[in-house]
Amino acid sequence: MRHHPMPPPAAAGPGIFAPRLSPLPQDHLDERQQAKHLVARLRDHISRIEGRIEKHQPPIYSRSERRSAPRWCFGLETIDRNLPETGLARAGLHDIAPLKYGDNAAAMAFALALAHGRLHVAGEKRPLLWCRIETEVREHGSLYGHGIETLGLPRQRFLTVTLRKPISLYWTLEEALKSGCLAAVIGDAAPQHETLTTTRRLSLAAAEGKSAGLLVFIQNYQGPTSSSSRWQVSTAPSQASSPDKSPGNPSWQITLSRIRSGKPGQWTVNWQKHHATHHFTLAPGLSGGTLYPGTPEIAGSRTTPEPALRAG
Amino acid sequence: MRAPAPPQSLPFALVESGAKGLRLSAINAAARNFGLMRGQRLADARAAVPDLLTEQHEPEKDVTSLLGLCRWMERYSPWVAPDGRDGILLDVTGIPHLFGGETAMQKDMQNKLMAYGFSCRPGLAETIGAAWALARYATPFSTGDESLKALPIEALRIDTDAARTLRRLGLKTIGSLLSLPRASLARRFRGESIDENVLLRLDELQGHRHEALNAVNPPSSFMAHRALMEPVITHEGLQTILQSLTQNLCHDLEAKRQGALRLILKLFRSDGTRAQLPAGLSAPSNNAGHILRLLTPKLDSLDAGFGIDAMTLEARETAPMPQQQYGFTDGVNPKNLTELNDRVMNRQDQPLTRLQAVASHVPERAEMVAGFNETSQIPPSYPTQNHRPLLIFERPEPASVIAAVPDGPPMRLTWRRVTRRIVKSRGPERIAPEWWKLASGERPRDYYAIEDDQGRRYWLYRDGLYGEENQTPPKWFVHGLSG
Repeated sequence: MRHHPMPPPAAAGPGIFAPRLSPLPQDHLDERQQAKHLVARLRDHISRIEGRIEKHQPPIYSRSERRSAPRWCFGLETIDRNLPETGLARAGLHDIAPLKYGDNAAAMAFALALAHGRLHVAGEKRPLLWCRIETEVREHGSLYGHGIETLGLPRQRFLTVTLRKPISLYWTLEEALKSGCLAAVIGDAAPQHETLTTTRRLSLAAAEGKSAGLLVFIQNYQGPTSSSSRWQVSTAPSQASSPDKSPGNPSWQITLSRIRSGKPGQWTVNWQKHHATHHFTLAPGLSGGTLYPGTPEIAGSRTTPEPALRAG
Repeated sequence: MRAPAPPQSLPFALVESGAKGLRLSAINAAARNFGLMRGQRLADARAAVPDLLTEQHEPEKDVTSLLGLCRWMERYSPWVAPDGRDGILLDVTGIPHLFGGETAMQKDMQNKLMAYGFSCRPGLAETIGAAWALARYATPFSTGDESLKALPIEALRIDTDAARTLRRLGLKTIGSLLSLPRASLARRFRGESIDENVLLRLDELQGHRHEALNAVNPPSSFMAHRALMEPVITHEGLQTILQSLTQNLCHDLEAKRQGALRLILKLFRSDGTRAQLPAGLSAPSNNAGHILRLLTPKLDSLDAGFGIDAMTLEARETAPMPQQQYGFTDGVNPKNLTELNDRVMNRQDQPLTRLQAVASHVPERAEMVAGFNETSQIPPSYPTQNHRPLLIFERPEPASVIAAVPDGPPMRLTWRRVTRRIVKSRGPERIAPEWWKLASGERPRDYYAIEDDQGRRYWLYRDGLYGEENQTPPKWFVHGLSG
């Protein structure tokens, strides 16, 4: 591990964990500036601990670089601005959980839609593996290739294996992620077997094999994992495409409840699958996206200034 | 095999039920001294020897025990086969000098087997027939034509009827048969089975007729063996030896441009038993690292007993290795995927699979699970314009549905004890049974893709149509779920 020489945080300016005790300048503006500076330095420090920044300087993406770098994102500005600068972690672990019991199929379909993006990152030719567990196959059925093709994933790049025991599943997931011959590995995950240790092992394996790991939980789960993003999926009524009241494109309400170096949010998206290109769209009428509760920062940034009343 | 044996000094017999009650099927030396015989009735034997110990004879256990003994005998020769119920045949061509000569080797076998509690009679000759005769009818360690000629005619492996006929004719030894003209023997004994055909048996004895010896484990040409000075019991020790064995084997394979497909690691315990760890590969490989990764986890579950004193790694099945180079043109290394499949297959017993499309309209037959590397056989996919679900139930689950008769869309669905209000539906898509498949009793199905008021999607069908003659009313089944 590389070590970067850095002055101890306490040496310059106020202490990190006790900013109130440090002598702050009386000037109100100055105090705010100093706090800003402190937060920036803390962010820098944390990201260096996490090993995400190699150099002392944070990476600066130019506009052209940002476009050319293979990003894994939704292709929707509304959602992508909540993701980190480089998109979703291509070699990281992501959690996807259904909101309620009946949302499992939606969570699985959303996982495939996300994986679709991972498989189509420029220069990616490796296939996808879905490790399933027998109990889950019995409960919600086995994956159907024709249905997967309708969702937009080529059959040739889809592999699957069904394991009997959770311990076998985690072993297989880790081996598959580590092997480096798969673009993404999706695994059925049960909350009771999900510990910080297992997920940490999986995210290390994902980094080693440069594969994305997607854990599809079989029920809603809020406990700790070491994944870089966490999504909650529930079904949403689809927009009937024709007047005959037939079901339209799949529609999901997705909640990004945790993301490393990004912002949480909640949106309702459609998966456009009846066209040659498969992609996400925002559900009309809610295109602004509903706000995720408890994120005043976003709320603050979103509030457009009231138009000045003009006398007349 | 390892059940506590009764003391040698007491008369003991194994009994089996015959046509007229229990009969003795095997007896020990003490019982023989009391005058008992094989095939005698148990009642008669009990009358003669009241304190005779008996045990039920289990022939199938004899077979497995004999096979185990065959494997143990592989330490003398790689070419070993069981012979009947009570014999073992070894091809020892070019071997006896390793054990200090023919007699020394036979004595060594006898001593080792006696130490394990077996009694045995070795016989060594140029043909299987002669060795069989010598082992059963000659004095131990006798060889040569003269001792063969003195043997009784039963030593020819002929059945009792043929033997009785010969004895009636005054032909009591093999030597007396050999002096007869062949034509008369051929005329007299032209039985259907080989046991009745004296002439064939005589030819086999003399080596005029070839007799094959089918070994239980044909020896492989690729193997690495290591005999150890001291028994090894630790996992680390075994792993080190396995590593060097793997390297030796892969070196041999590479020199011949071969790759292993099936491997067997044999571990000889110091108490004479043997453990076998098999491993399979989906594509030939001579990559030592890969093979080691397949075998090492299997050592975890190994019972080393009192220690392992010899290890053999064999490539039972090999295939030519194509000389290929990966990594220049595309990013995918198929070798890695194969190796991943091997690891999962050997550890979890589950292969990686592809979902392969099959030309059929019946949803459950429209797809089959295929091995992951069978890419060449995948037909161009069989696209359907109709809705297909993401998940499909292997057995469609019965549901109760409220729908307009005869073919209205579902309005209300009760499945898994929950009732849902259906707001959107597409259908019906009628799928008729494949009459050419001869699956009787199948009815046409009407499929509907539906969505309930919460946006959850189901794929269900009505089995049968309303108004069909001589049929029960149609039933509804949920066949799949969509995201």
